[in-house]
Amino acid sequence: VIDQIRLWQLDTERISTRDGYLFKDFDEYKEYKAVADFADNIGVCAWRNDKKGIFFATKIEQIKDFMKSQKKAN
Amino acid sequence: MVRAVKGTLVECDPSIKSIIINIDNETNEYIVEDLDETHLMIKDNMVAKLKTELEQRLKENVPDVEDESDSDQDVK
Repeated sequence: VIDQIRLWQLDTERISTRDGYLFKDFDEYKEYKAVADFADNIGVCAWRNDKKGIFFATKIEQIKDFMKSQKKAN
Repeated sequence: MVRAVKGTLVECDPSIKSIIINIDNETNEYIVEDLDETHLMIKDNMVAKLKTELEQRLKENVPDVEDESDSDQDVK
């Protein structure tokens, strides 16, 4: 029985949760890639899928600023 | 247009993920997006409730699985 309880504990601990934002619906892959790479570089990208062009970031402020600066540059 | 959807990223085993999907199927109140085999995005205000729900399921399910593996070993 103790082994079973340990197994349950392991299972529930195996879930890790992080709050943040899912970035999706990018117009172009190029734009997605630039923003996702930026998020990766500053260490806020928790998950990404280059095929689907979506990524999850734990913080949004710096990414917003980066996207604004990208728009100005274009 | 780019959208940033607020929520909570859940990382877990595929087995756990399938349980979460089962829980969500009943009410559709947890999952925002199914990301891949080991990742889900859920509503951030539902995390605590999901964890409680999940713990309950695991308590119900784990003993069954263990019984099966035991009986397999005994037979062979």
